[in-house]
Amino acid sequence: MTNPATAVAAPEGVTSTLHRGLVQTLSAFDPVWLRERRHRAWEVYESTPMPTTRLEEWRYTDLRRKLDLAPLGWPKRAECADDFNACPEGLRNTMMEDDPASGHVWGIDGQIIHVDLEEELRDKGVILMSLKEATKTHPDLLEKHLATEALPPERGKFEALNAALWTDGILLFVPRGVRLELPVRVTRWISQAGVAFFSRTLIIAEPGSQVSFMDEILSQDLKAQTLVSRAVEVVAQDGAQVQYVALQRLGKGAFYQASQRTLAQRDSTLDTLNLSLGATTTRVDLNADLLGPGANSDMLGLYFGDGDQHFDHNTSQDHAAPNTSSDLLYKGALDGHSRSVFRGVIRVHPRAQKTDAYQTNRNLLLSPHARADSLPNLEIQADDVKCSHGATVGQLDAESRFYLMSRGLTREQAERLVVLGFLGEVLSRLPLGGVATKVTRVIEEKLRQS
Amino acid sequence: MPQNETIQGLGLDQYKYDFVDEEKHVFRTQPGLSEDVVRQISAQKGEPEWMLQARLKALEIYYSKPMPTWGGNLSDLERVLDEIYFYVRPQDQMEHSWDDVPESIKTTFERLGIPEAEQKILAGVGAQYESEMVYHSLKKEWEDQGVIFDSIEEGLKNHPELFRKYFGTVIPAADNKFAAMNSAVWSGGSFVYIPKGVELKTPLQAYFRINQEKMGQFERTLIIADEGSHAHYIEGCTAPVYSTESFHSGVIEIIVHRNARFRYTTIQNWSNNMYNLVTQRALVHENASMEWLDGNLGSKLTMKYPSCYLVGEGAHGEILSIAYAGDGQHQDTGGKVVHVAPRTTSSIVSKSISRGTGRASYRGLLKVHKGALHARSNVECDALLINDTSRTDTYPYIEIEEQGANVGHEATVSKVGDEQLFYLMSRGMSEAEAMALIVRGFIEPIAKELPMEYAVELNRLIELEMEGSVG
Repeated sequence: MTNPATAVAAPEGVTSTLHRGLVQTLSAFDPVWLRERRHRAWEVYESTPMPTTRLEEWRYTDLRRKLDLAPLGWPKRAECADDFNACPEGLRNTMMEDDPASGHVWGIDGQIIHVDLEEELRDKGVILMSLKEATKTHPDLLEKHLATEALPPERGKFEALNAALWTDGILLFVPRGVRLELPVRVTRWISQAGVAFFSRTLIIAEPGSQVSFMDEILSQDLKAQTLVSRAVEVVAQDGAQVQYVALQRLGKGAFYQASQRTLAQRDSTLDTLNLSLGATTTRVDLNADLLGPGANSDMLGLYFGDGDQHFDHNTSQDHAAPNTSSDLLYKGALDGHSRSVFRGVIRVHPRAQKTDAYQTNRNLLLSPHARADSLPNLEIQADDVKCSHGATVGQLDAESRFYLMSRGLTREQAERLVVLGFLGEVLSRLPLGGVATKVTRVIEEKLRQS
Repeated sequence: MPQNETIQGLGLDQYKYDFVDEEKHVFRTQPGLSEDVVRQISAQKGEPEWMLQARLKALEIYYSKPMPTWGGNLSDLERVLDEIYFYVRPQDQMEHSWDDVPESIKTTFERLGIPEAEQKILAGVGAQYESEMVYHSLKKEWEDQGVIFDSIEEGLKNHPELFRKYFGTVIPAADNKFAAMNSAVWSGGSFVYIPKGVELKTPLQAYFRINQEKMGQFERTLIIADEGSHAHYIEGCTAPVYSTESFHSGVIEIIVHRNARFRYTTIQNWSNNMYNLVTQRALVHENASMEWLDGNLGSKLTMKYPSCYLVGEGAHGEILSIAYAGDGQHQDTGGKVVHVAPRTTSSIVSKSISRGTGRASYRGLLKVHKGALHARSNVECDALLINDTSRTDTYPYIEIEEQGANVGHEATVSKVGDEQLFYLMSRGMSEAEAMALIVRGFIEPIAKELPMEYAVELNRLIELEMEGSVG
């Protein structure tokens, strides 16, 4: 007879690779505060149950079927020189398309291999460097902001896992009043399959500063399921203007998990754009907090799926101060057997009077096997507000297609144009030149294949 | 602030159904729910064995399901359920003649204006007092055409085959915790059958009254609208205000057959100590049409989402919902439409008003199943906030599995605009009149769908008490 009292189940999500020993290995050379922070995050990870579809926020993404942590290995340390010509071809190709930038970061398989920044900006105190290096040179900044105010481990299972196991990432610090005319461009390449990657981005924009951050991640198709986990923390202090753009073009096999939290303080503008085009499964949690009076966040999103791709965008617009505004527009087109979930909530807290908050999600189903679920929520606890939301799911407009075909286009060409026109509403609002061109090209490529 | 006083002067929260009759009953169960209580209810009704077994099975399901953690605050409910009476029998038998109804009960319904309305505008009337229907009548012309309008108990007794064919088919006991509870302890409610091709010119009405303190009412209604028929059913509910909580949990099942049209109107005006957790669902067949008109003004907490399952090609479903949440009230209401068949259409319009510390939540599901080609649906929610302590939420779920669907959802939240008030006052209105006019204008799209007497009633609720506050 077995004694049930002695049978203690292992905490969920602990595997032969992802376990406490790994935290020890990773933090061996960390400063004490960081080592402790990683270990505490691991404690939270172990004690937090794996999200199930019983949770409202995971209702339509069943992790038991979508993600298997057990076989995931740990990436090998890539031997990459800081040399453009030695970079993988896919990485070089996409970088060559880019317009001029204030600075560049290249990453391969979770390691930052190259950082450059205009001399003049460096002199003004702008910091752009790998997180690894920053732990040595700017410990105070990291100790204050890294996985503390925006994404502490308590926010969830994946947030805790990332805070415990991140291997590298980026720190961008823009001092008071400094304005970057050109964006910072980050390009990351993933080549190893069957492993788990954890990276973080921390952006601090001091009062009155201005910066655009373009974060692209891509890979070829991956032969085995690969977890790409990212945590992004963005703080716009009083009057700062920040744009954060994430372009995700991972190949099949990738499970892309991104936690993004933006904190907008008094009179700041903190805009985000998520372009989700690749990966087999994409889960993005974006929480925009409007913390100071006069803060504003525009949130754009675009997804385009085919095959058996699954997208789940889970957003929140939290208005905690009066006179704040936010405007969200997420649009997606779905072909093949692809599926999308949009869940967004506008929360207007008591006393957040004079809030303007909008939320729109529009979906286009291009195939009889595609599926779209939309859950736009409002929770309003102040009365002097303007809030609205809308969601639609529809099909390709037959009249537009017919018109285009009557002008001599083939059916495929006409459909492609209609889809581009539908997604164009987001593309036309893109803050950065060059991004729209690049994204349009990627979508056209995808449309041609499907 | 004069504006706040004025708003309070609207009198939306003044409850005019707060009168208590002397408590008389011929039988009641001990407080709380148990297998014994279920057996007693069944025995009181002299039911066939299969019904008792179905009730006991439902009780098991009820016990096995967890308390919902979404929607309203149900943390006190377990305690309340231990204290309430699940079954109270007010008289020995149901009457078909108004004169035979006991005097005290008759007075109650006369104060509510029921017999008057019956003479004037209704095809039939049912009245439930505590756990049993005390009165049911149907005009002879409809009876002659084969219309059945009876208490649910008489439905089971007199039409056992029809009853058993449909009972529990639209809302099985396992549907949710409170449907299971109702399936175990149901008592009272209507059994309605509209024969093929019969068009009822005037509505049927059921009136639900709770008089006893700490009372649980579990009405169960089964409606079958046969092919090509056309009818309208109205229910109203009130209760006195007690300091303890009472509980109401109904299950309403409707089958709308091919080409039939059915409208179900609820004007829920329970007192503010009532938990009101109701499951209402209609199965809508080929080219048939179902309309829910759901008005929730009373109760402490209402969780109620009338739904249409569009199972036949070309079926149409419509839900009009209006909710008013005053101080301490939470109206968690909305609607569900599930498109199963091709070329089905639906529309949901929801309007809510939150005042004081009231909270109105819209919760809805719009689902298009695979195969429901060319489904069309539109959802519109508007919320009006009166005070800075009021709260409103919108929780729509949209699940689309079919390419040819076209669905949309829109919601807006606003407060009564200073400019609107200022304009009306500059035209000579008092602030109270101006406020009432704006609120009336806001609910107008739904109020105009109500039968005249109810539209008048709704407007009066907003207008009546306010008159005293002017000047």
